[in-house]
Amino acid sequence: MKMVSEAQRQHAEAMLEGAAPVIELLGVSRVYPSRSGVVHALNDASFTIGASEWVAITGPSGSGKSTLVNLLGCLDTPTAGTLRIDGTEVHTMGGGDLDRFRADKVGFIFQQFHLIPYLSALENVMLAQYFHSMTNESDARAALDRVGLSHRAEHLPSELSGGEQQRVCIARALINDPPILLADEPTGNLDAANQRIVAEILAELHANGHTIVMVTHDPEMAALAQRKIALSHGKVFCHPVSNVVKLSQ
Amino acid sequence: MSTTATSKANISLGRMLLRSLAHRRARSFSALAALTVSAAVSTALLTLYNDLDAKLHHEFRSFGANVVVNSTSVAISPDEILQVQNIAGTNSLTAPIAYAIAETDRKTPVVVAGVDFATMQKLDNWWKVGTWPGQPDQVLLGQRAAGFIANEKEVTLTYAGKALTLHGTGRLSTGGDEDSRIYLPLATFENWIGVQPHVLEIQVPGGAGRVNAVLSQLQHDLPQLHAEPVRQLVAGESSIVDKTHALMYGAVLLIALTVAVSVLATLSASVLERRRDFALMKALGASQSQLFAHFLLEALVLATVGVVAGYLLGSGLAWAIGIANFGTATWPKLSILPLVLLLNLGIAACAALFPARVLRGLQPAALLKGE
Repeated sequence: MKMVSEAQRQHAEAMLEGAAPVIELLGVSRVYPSRSGVVHALNDASFTIGASEWVAITGPSGSGKSTLVNLLGCLDTPTAGTLRIDGTEVHTMGGGDLDRFRADKVGFIFQQFHLIPYLSALENVMLAQYFHSMTNESDARAALDRVGLSHRAEHLPSELSGGEQQRVCIARALINDPPILLADEPTGNLDAANQRIVAEILAELHANGHTIVMVTHDPEMAALAQRKIALSHGKVFCHPVSNVVKLSQ
Repeated sequence: MSTTATSKANISLGRMLLRSLAHRRARSFSALAALTVSAAVSTALLTLYNDLDAKLHHEFRSFGANVVVNSTSVAISPDEILQVQNIAGTNSLTAPIAYAIAETDRKTPVVVAGVDFATMQKLDNWWKVGTWPGQPDQVLLGQRAAGFIANEKEVTLTYAGKALTLHGTGRLSTGGDEDSRIYLPLATFENWIGVQPHVLEIQVPGGAGRVNAVLSQLQHDLPQLHAEPVRQLVAGESSIVDKTHALMYGAVLLIALTVAVSVLATLSASVLERRRDFALMKALGASQSQLFAHFLLEALVLATVGVVAGYLLGSGLAWAIGIANFGTATWPKLSILPLVLLLNLGIAACAALFPARVLRGLQPAALLKGE
């Protein structure tokens, strides 16, 4: 596995120590109506995630991970509590403002990549620019170069391997330079070799100061994060800060 | 599909739309086919509906006169005939007729009628006639009247002691009073009997409204004449035209509704199967209105292409139906195009926006996880 330099590790540690929280949850709940009454998908969750921190969210199926991803990704709003992202109280925002805020603040990395099959790798990256503001081909090429895929820019997703598709997905998440990267099982569909490549890219992004919130079932991937937030039956259990940048060890 | 995209990349709603349609060829074709059928059926029915009055009135005109004018006292003068023709309109037919009772060579009284055969041939083209007379000394014998004649080739008739011998050209069969008459050229009739026409049979183009208007005008301008409609024909025509209109209107609505449901199902399925694209775009920051615009524009593009193809197909269909049923072509009507376009755009918009509204309630994160 690729080593992250000592300088990068020290930079990440320094940022974490002095970092203001980029995500703050205070008594956040999300309740869904059901036939038998209501379902508490997330119940009174309170925690913070600092800028440049790498946090793993773990928990079994049905524990509320998707609900938490929805809320942190500004795809949904809490039914109770305060959710503050990058200093803005998200829980008070309406549909249009939330869309704008999401485009600015969150970059998504999906387990199933979710590339548009009829657009090239480059155009898939530019799609995020399109919904954010304006497209810029050279920036999109630079993002692909950053994940080592500049030579595959014109290829369709069907012509790329799973690992390459995930790297396009990461480039798409990075293109608008959002403060938060929200990765939902980023290596769940990859073989061991590609898992390593994606883990290295995430570690490098973290070392360069990106805040990464990663939902994972994989203990190895979770171990790469500085901290784990465990979910069970909609309840949150926070773990203390773990070693920074496990990849370097 | 090409293995590589173009070297100059760009992203726009239109470009994504065209790529998306091309990528989902089968589904796009299915939606396009449904919208084309919808437009074709609407075009054909609306074209026929628009042309129905003219077609039916034309059919009814072949049944003969729909107005009869009688002189209450003396013969109708040439000036009066001209006035009647002017009131009836340029596309009307007016046949002056003079009647008398003569005696055959078998000494049987028979009704003889002096007519202009050229006009009668147009006015009563439903009559079954062997050969129409073309010479001043030729006559047309009614089926029953022929039985009162000893020699059909040399028809001798006598009126007030004046005998006239004419040549029969054939028999006339209508199943009505005409079968008991002998028809001869009007000029021959006038020279022989000395009586001018006192009946005008008129064929007024148009429906009951037009006929009534002509009747009113005749009664106003020529009060010395007695004008009346051929009741069975005018009332029957009016009733059939109204009922056919209602039937066509119902058929248009029913078929449009059926096709709309089919289009709705096809387009809705097309939108719903792309719910993950919807969730992805949402995650990338697309607003609800951008997503609606995407699905709406796609549906509207398909609808517009479908209307162009459907209009051509439907016009062809209406033309063929017109030929098959009425013997005359129904020409394409550009005036119905906006209505067909509006109808199909409306169906497509409903089909696109309804499922898009349903998608609004779904959880993007759950969709993107494949749940």
